[in-house]
Amino acid sequence: MGIAETYSRGRRLATQNPVGVVVAATAVVLTLDLLGALATGGVAVSRVGRLVWDGLMRGLVIGLAGIGLSMTYSILGFANFAHGDYTTSGAFAGWAATYLLAGLGRADVGSLLLVGAGGSVFGAQLGIGVVATPLAVLAGLLTAGAAAVVLALAVDRVVFRPLRGESGIALLITSIGVAFALRNLLQFVFGPARRGTTDAGAVPDVEIPLADGAVTVGAHDITLLVVASGLMLGVHALLQRTKLGKAMRAMSDNRDLARVTGIPTERVVTATWVIGAALTGAAGYVLVLWKGTMTFNDGWLLLLLIFAAVILGGIGSIYGAIVGGLVIGLTASLAAVWIPASFARAAAFVVMIVVLLVRPTGIFGGRSTA
Amino acid sequence: MGAESAAGASRSAVVDAPDEDRLLTVRDLDAGYGDLQILAGVDLDVLDGEYVVVVGPNGAGKSTVMKSVFGLTTQMGGAVRFADSDITGLAPEEIIHEGIGYVPQSDNVFSSLTVRENLEMGAYILDEVPEDALSAVFERFPVLEERQGQRAGTMSGGQQQMLAMGRALMLDPDLLLLDEPSAGLAPDLVDEMFDRIDDVVAAGTAVLMVEQNATEALSRCDRGYVLANGENRYADTGDRLLSDPQVRQEFLGG
Repeated sequence: MGIAETYSRGRRLATQNPVGVVVAATAVVLTLDLLGALATGGVAVSRVGRLVWDGLMRGLVIGLAGIGLSMTYSILGFANFAHGDYTTSGAFAGWAATYLLAGLGRADVGSLLLVGAGGSVFGAQLGIGVVATPLAVLAGLLTAGAAAVVLALAVDRVVFRPLRGESGIALLITSIGVAFALRNLLQFVFGPARRGTTDAGAVPDVEIPLADGAVTVGAHDITLLVVASGLMLGVHALLQRTKLGKAMRAMSDNRDLARVTGIPTERVVTATWVIGAALTGAAGYVLVLWKGTMTFNDGWLLLLLIFAAVILGGIGSIYGAIVGGLVIGLTASLAAVWIPASFARAAAFVVMIVVLLVRPTGIFGGRSTA
Repeated sequence: MGAESAAGASRSAVVDAPDEDRLLTVRDLDAGYGDLQILAGVDLDVLDGEYVVVVGPNGAGKSTVMKSVFGLTTQMGGAVRFADSDITGLAPEEIIHEGIGYVPQSDNVFSSLTVRENLEMGAYILDEVPEDALSAVFERFPVLEERQGQRAGTMSGGQQQMLAMGRALMLDPDLLLLDEPSAGLAPDLVDEMFDRIDDVVAAGTAVLMVEQNATEALSRCDRGYVLANGENRYADTGDRLLSDPQVRQEFLGG
């Protein structure tokens, strides 16, 4: 090791450390500020509790949707900008199924299938909720996943497969085109209006007392928690335990070697789309269930946060996507303690930039789907 | 053999052998990448259980021969037969079913997978991981058994090379293609690597190997081929190639 390298290493440390110091100092100041505010009653403990819970919910959705984005990145080598619209498409298909099952006989089938386009029928009016209409919700969840899978495979067949082997940039730009097409199609079919999808008032909840108040945990919060964490555990088991999962990791590691080992690479690509799309469709569905409203550009708006989460976690790693999702969700939510809520999203991106300054490859960077 | 002098190495690349002893038969092969032709009329034979080495200067097309056998190049002419089947133009995922294993020169392990998972991937085309093949690999490379839970990317170059070979042996191939197995290894490991390859040959697997370390490889193999500019130059037993002054001067550095 030469002197020059010792020098440059010293300089690297010197240029990295200040950032680390500033980050640590900022974190300490913010924590002290929060503790002070909590002690003096400037910020209610229960409010922080509610924000943490809210952030957890958002984080789980972002992480769940991010897994698919990260998987397609690591195995196909491109950032799929249409991913957010797969989320929305899955959600619309799922909610069409839920409306149909919950409202059959009470409203005409057309309005139900269009998820009440043009204000023809409302979720509240159909009494939709996980407790009131569990079968409709379950069927909707499954339909959302299945529809996103069908869509992703169809788009891959028509658009991405002919471009296999092209550069990541060509695919990325193509995927932006796909995103626009899908979003406009959704708007055309289902209409532009935001609609209420659940009978939010009738969803049972429990108040968990916390110091000076309470955190409300509703049945839809629990549904989201169970669905998201269950699917995440499922993906983990798939990747670590099954032959297919190991082949997916092998392929994201080294595609050429996978081929000479006899791994059927096109079949693994298909499996990647299937799993990634199913998760993102399910994420879209539970997000709408939890929020109680939906519109055609939900997924597109979520995509920025999903990208932030995936990049923060280390693109290509599914565990990075989950952790990144939680960090982004919690930040976007908790930032409201210090800054106006309308800027909270921006705070999530600040955190992403800071993490990338300290660790340019992301939290789980360089571990490719493992 | 059409030798030019009593001690001279043969230039004829074709081996006379009964059909049932033939494993790999490459005839008049033209191949390359895309439009770029590298090989011109290459002949090469590997008999059952034989240890064959391909040597030659950089850019001679040694690795290209190997890749062509495994379907990784564009084949422009000629034929490749393996045992009883014509494998000319087949894809690697088909050729692996025929009983050929291939170990690329570099990037030849899945670095984020564990040692055991790498070996399991070697048997991907089978429904189940063959336990007997796995224990045979562990017996041959004990270090792999000790480290089966370790990520392959964290092992030394020599261990990775053994893992790569172990992965290719999981299907118990009739022919193992090794592309410069000693590349990048420390000198004391090179001998060990060659010893392991001798073991593989002794166990009945035919080996076709490309090697920079020509003298050592030729002294251990049954037969050798000298390639230059994508064409056959010499072909004979390793010892005769090594003792031919012209071969030594042209290709083995005197």
